Amino acid sequence: MGVMESQVASRTPLVALLGNPNCGKTALFNRLTGARQKVANYAGVTIERKEGSFTSPAGRAFRVLDLPGAYSLNAQTPDEGITRDVVAGLRAGEVPPDAILCVVNATNLRLNLRLVLELRRLGLPMVLALNMVDVAKKRGIEIDTAKLSQELGMPVVETVAIQSGGEKALLAQLDAMPFGVPVTPKPLSAIDEVSVEDTQREVRRILSVAVSSAKDTGNLSEKIDGVVLHPIAGPIILALLMFVIFQAVFSWGDAPIELIEAGMGAFGQMVGSWIGEGMLHSLIVDGIIAGVGSVLVFLPQILILFFFILLLEDVGYLPRAAFLLDRIMGSVGLSGRSFLPLLSSFACAIPGVMAARTIQNPRDRLVTIMIAPLMTCSARLPVYALLIAAFIPDRVVGGFMNLQGIVLFVLYLAGILSAMAVAWFMKRRNGYKQHALMLELPAYHWPHPRGLASGLLERAKIFLMRVGTLILAMMILLWLFSSFPGAPEGATHPPIYYSVAGMIGRALEVVLAPIGFNWQIAIALVPGMAAREVAVGALGTVYALSGGDEVGNTLAPLIAQSWSLATGLSLLAWYVYAPHCLPTLATVARETGSRKYAWIMAGYMFALAYVAAFIVYRVTLAFTGA
Amino acid sequence: MTHAALPTLDSLKTGQSATVVHLASGAQEGGIDVQRRLMELGFVPGERIRVLKRVMGGPLAVKVGESTFALRRFEAALVSIQAD
Repeated sequence: MGVMESQVASRTPLVALLGNPNCGKTALFNRLTGARQKVANYAGVTIERKEGSFTSPAGRAFRVLDLPGAYSLNAQTPDEGITRDVVAGLRAGEVPPDAILCVVNATNLRLNLRLVLELRRLGLPMVLALNMVDVAKKRGIEIDTAKLSQELGMPVVETVAIQSGGEKALLAQLDAMPFGVPVTPKPLSAIDEVSVEDTQREVRRILSVAVSSAKDTGNLSEKIDGVVLHPIAGPIILALLMFVIFQAVFSWGDAPIELIEAGMGAFGQMVGSWIGEGMLHSLIVDGIIAGVGSVLVFLPQILILFFFILLLEDVGYLPRAAFLLDRIMGSVGLSGRSFLPLLSSFACAIPGVMAARTIQNPRDRLVTIMIAPLMTCSARLPVYALLIAAFIPDRVVGGFMNLQGIVLFVLYLAGILSAMAVAWFMKRRNGYKQHALMLELPAYHWPHPRGLASGLLERAKIFLMRVGTLILAMMILLWLFSSFPGAPEGATHPPIYYSVAGMIGRALEVVLAPIGFNWQIAIALVPGMAAREVAVGALGTVYALSGGDEVGNTLAPLIAQSWSLATGLSLLAWYVYAPHCLPTLATVARETGSRKYAWIMAGYMFALAYVAAFIVYRVTLAFTGA
Repeated sequence: MTHAALPTLDSLKTGQSATVVHLASGAQEGGIDVQRRLMELGFVPGERIRVLKRVMGGPLAVKVGESTFALRRFEAALVSIQAD
């Protein structure tokens, strides 16, 4: 079966999509392939490899490879290195493409065409897709495609990747191309046959022949930037945006969360009534449904956070934020480029650590990776949400601010400030050196609802997959740990006290008692190493099994009753730092190519967590007079 | 080089325009050929550029062609210019 498939695949022409960042290449890839995509990694590295397939109107099958965005084949980042190696046929395990589909942003040919000229020197069959041609026309940019095609010596088609049918001309062109004879690209040294300066001169000559623009373009973006990048207004807008996002995460999520809670409760009762009392009832209702449900309720908040990140990315605001923050980042030895990986880490440290690949400087990249897990990821939200609901009163402060929202904001801030301190420490040890920024600030555009929706759907899928696999498995394991061995005759404690989990928890309690943790917390932290949010489910299970007999009682009021305020706040501080996420540590080991950094990360984060929790616990005790 | 006497891009104020005259071969910062990459992005002799915004003590947003790039001051200092 596998052999047949690979034979068919080798007969199907492979088209590689290549272009500058911000040219709409990925949107075009999505338009062409729809749902027929395979996302994997390039062999040996963790750079995302996106391949898809489609059938043309003439019934021909095509394979498409979406190469990482690049300004030049003279690669400066690992991503650009992949693009260079694939098109030059230098990458082991990758077949050189049969044709290059060069995607250019029609509103910025001046920048984009240079790469096309450079690429042409490799001698591969090429098609030029003039993308965003609708925006170019609106701005009064007239492109003579026939002349451009003649000058470049390759077919030129107009595309509008964000519009249904915007790929028609491209499909017709691909159908008209022969394909069949495999082509070998020329050696990479061919790209230096003409100097960069002469190539730029050639770009300007071609533009003067094939393009005329009636009015000055890009004015609107400049006007927006006049406000958004303003030395005073800019940072205020940035801070407000961040604040609104965090408030929204907490307040908009309420209604759907209650819905999910009620749904899971009803589902548990329904299933429970079918099964009847006994061990199985306990496993399914208390272990699985209650455990998974307590994590599932955070889906709305995670989606709200991702909605804002994707939205800001889509409209072009993120590089502006990097621009505004470059000075602050520079003060701890990083650059504005570290902003995107760190911002992604607010959703999840894993994509954040992986996004650090776009940082050219190896030291900057390592430091960014090491501090990424200090950004408050969405998996901390379930823990924060539970503890805040239990220990912080839901009160309005200063007329419009919610006290719970403020505490959440402070927790985020603590993570950010700690990350900066760690970065400063790491960079200081290695000596300061300034690095290049060279960050493009692309034109603003309206968000594309379709792209946003599919991005959100992808996030929801990833989260639900985790709940369905890793978290479900941990819940079952934890239930086993917490149920066996059973309580002895005449037991004075709840049964879980005598179980395996109870034994581990009691052993850990010796170490954790000075920071105010009881054995229930200690037990929850053990499976909590799998992922932070697992601890919430684990606490639910621990308490459901250890005497929380009132069905429908949520966890928050329960722990609010049985823990002191100092313990609650101490656990909050612990979760700002503690690396309760094995997948992140595994990703760090993979991305840095050594386990050493994963161990260093785990070590320094646990140390910080212990110190922070200790201070918070003791200070709170002193204030509450306990 | 005879361009040493010319002002460099980092000395331009917000809103000022200039023409690129020369690019100094910057040290290879962290393995990156800054001079070549700047030229690839459009900073070639004869090109008109304009400073859109500056962050105090931080980077500059520079318009070159149809693009805007954020450059740190030391990168901008590699670009010798003829101010208007």
